[in-house]
Amino acid sequence: VSTGAADAADATGSAGTGAIRPRTPSSDLTVAEAAALRRLGLAPVGFVMGSAVVQLVSGISGQMYSTWGGFQVPGAAQGYYRSFPCVHGYAMAANVSEHFGFNAENVVLESSVAYGYELAITRLQAEAQGLGAHGVVGVDVRFEYLVGAPGTATFLATGTAVVHPGTPPLPAAFATNASGQHFERLVAQGFIPSGLAVGVGVIYVQPNCAARGNFTAMGANAQLPEALAAARGRAREALASQAHRNGEGVVHTSWTDRRVVRYGESWNQMALAVGTAVRRFSEEHEPVLPRAVVPLRP
Amino acid sequence: MTSPTSGTQSRIEVALATLRQPYNPGDVPTFVSDLTVGELILLEEVGYRPIDIVWGAGSASFDPRFTNANTEGTMWGQAITSAIDHARAAIFEMVQRRHGAGVVAMRLEFEREPFNVVTCSLLGTAVRFDKSGGHRRAHPDTGQPFLTTLSARDFHLLVRAGFEPTAIVRGAAVVGFAARSVSQSLGLARDNVELEDQTKALYSAREQAMEALEREALTVQADGVVAVELQERPVNSMLTHAVEFIAVGTAVRRGPGSDDALAALRPELQLTLNDATNSAFQSS
Repeated sequence: VSTGAADAADATGSAGTGAIRPRTPSSDLTVAEAAALRRLGLAPVGFVMGSAVVQLVSGISGQMYSTWGGFQVPGAAQGYYRSFPCVHGYAMAANVSEHFGFNAENVVLESSVAYGYELAITRLQAEAQGLGAHGVVGVDVRFEYLVGAPGTATFLATGTAVVHPGTPPLPAAFATNASGQHFERLVAQGFIPSGLAVGVGVIYVQPNCAARGNFTAMGANAQLPEALAAARGRAREALASQAHRNGEGVVHTSWTDRRVVRYGESWNQMALAVGTAVRRFSEEHEPVLPRAVVPLRP
Repeated sequence: MTSPTSGTQSRIEVALATLRQPYNPGDVPTFVSDLTVGELILLEEVGYRPIDIVWGAGSASFDPRFTNANTEGTMWGQAITSAIDHARAAIFEMVQRRHGAGVVAMRLEFEREPFNVVTCSLLGTAVRFDKSGGHRRAHPDTGQPFLTTLSARDFHLLVRAGFEPTAIVRGAAVVGFAARSVSQSLGLARDNVELEDQTKALYSAREQAMEALEREALTVQADGVVAVELQERPVNSMLTHAVEFIAVGTAVRRGPGSDDALAALRPELQLTLNDATNSAFQSS
């Protein structure tokens, strides 16, 4: 199999751009990644990017606080909701609002973030498809507050589109956040990436007296672990269901738990998971029992 | 590397041809993991396959006002211990519900909030034993899933060396000490003296935490504890003078034939021929 820039250009031309002319592909591959892909017979077609600037909407059932700051009890909230009443039993006391706490799934922010990721990833794959590529490797997926006012986020997916010259285009370009070397190992192990999978979970946390660490309410509290578990559960669920449509499993998941601070002492407990859905095309693979070595450093 | 081929097609062609067929999810459950590709391969090499991402968290608060020289901070130590225990119990239950053999690639984090709340969170990948994929050995039938704080790389090494991980073991202790004199705390003292109280407190906290860890290792009949993470934190504020010591590790048991396994793992020395990076290309 001959590979290289010229073949890639041929493949690009035959994929419908019309004019066939030599073209030097761009990429954000390291030298080692390029070498690993070349060993597989893949050639880079170009650096591709998908992005979207999205208005982030936050709140439970759309609106959490009424016009003048009065608090709306989110009894009709979608998804997970649980209240954590005051452990002292101050049901009617004046400071009840400081003692009362709840966890509520922020379905609106979840879908905002998931939507942003989806747009960026779909656009990345469309760009690769347009170049006649079979897939994108080394995809870096992230969101930043780069452009626009607070409350907006820029979603970015960047990577290098690759082609296997001589193979007709796929119905959809695959994408993976694995590097070129990891991609080579994945194929050697009998897996092929089918696409990226994203999971987002957001739980709005209003801590009760115990979760705030009130000196008179010591010991274990249930609210913080439950918020963390619920956010992770939602992210895992979304990740698994996306992957389930595309392959046997998810690998290479970058998992982030972060708190997005909101009003006062409350926050959005967010779990973000971006991974690669994989399909097993072969159970046969060579054993790769790694040797144990001790490098002799000067 | 030579790629196995099917007929005249290269491995990558077979792989791409697979993507041409629409995927039929069927009834096969999807595995979810936060393993890198390298970690996935290391696990498959010793016969384990990922099932699911699992987690556990525990949180507790304590009153630091009661921590001084006279009352060793038992409440505080117990709060930290209970946070770890809750997290450990939660992840154990999750692995059990998924019928996992154990959990690897673990992430252990302590989050501290103002007002002395400590939250311990664990996140890892539950694995099952799969004989067809394994080249090495049979999974010991202990009847209970194992918990580890190990990375997939360390787990691979441990299994190849003939050991079996059994459980996460922990110990935590907080020991208070007397406040320094006024001149000392104002920075007016000019003598080089050891603050013996504080040194003693640190030693005492270390002893208590390690003892608790060892007691736990004994109850799971471990031969030893590996990959112990230590956290030591002095707490000096107006009313609180204490030192906190946390130890969390993985209890392991020596499996049959571990001596041979260890011998087979004897590392070979490697002289790398890499040149040092040209300093002209390094940012200062």
